[in-house]
Amino acid sequence: MTTISKLNNSKIPIVPIDKRLEKYRGKVLFPEKLAKANEILAKAPIPKLKK
Amino acid sequence: MNKAKYQYRAENHFEYFEFYSEGPKGVIKKVVEYQKTSNKNIYNLAFGDYDEMAKGIDDLSITNNGDSLKVLATVASTVYAFIEKHPKAMIIATGSTSVRTRLYRMGITNNLNEISNDFAIFGFTKDENWVEFEIGEDYEAFLVTKK
Repeated sequence: MTTISKLNNSKIPIVPIDKRLEKYRGKVLFPEKLAKANEILAKAPIPKLKK
Repeated sequence: MNKAKYQYRAENHFEYFEFYSEGPKGVIKKVVEYQKTSNKNIYNLAFGDYDEMAKGIDDLSITNNGDSLKVLATVASTVYAFIEKHPKAMIIATGSTSVRTRLYRMGITNNLNEISNDFAIFGFTKDENWVEFEIGEDYEAFLVTKK
């Protein structure tokens, strides 16, 4: 429970690393969503962040 | 995002996360993926259910596991984790359906005070422009970056 309450109360989360998940890095599991995002990004210039 | 969320795990670059939703429909594996887009340093946030039977992902599924707020809070938490690892990145999020896009908008609206302390948020309008996120407006996609 300590881990869960720490997790629930921290803004920067505590993230356990699982080496078994390395195989998924860079693998596109949702190709339609990536295509949709690329389509939207191509339509308008990216907004500039005001400093 | 001081809300109940699921414990999740990630690979070393924080571009892929997994957690389990628990509710009346059982235990359902969820995955969150930050996909490199064709724009440098812009990542697409995609999430959905992992179908154990089909060994595939379903981003259109409506799980109805009674925990959509907790799932959304968990996904939002991965944004903090991802940005910690990739501080110069921008994240684009589009819903797979208009209902899900509205769900994202609700999630941002309900937490805007807290989120806007750390992040700049833009919405993509129907007339195809990026504008600063405003409560009550409809957007087709969202773009988030660390301030």
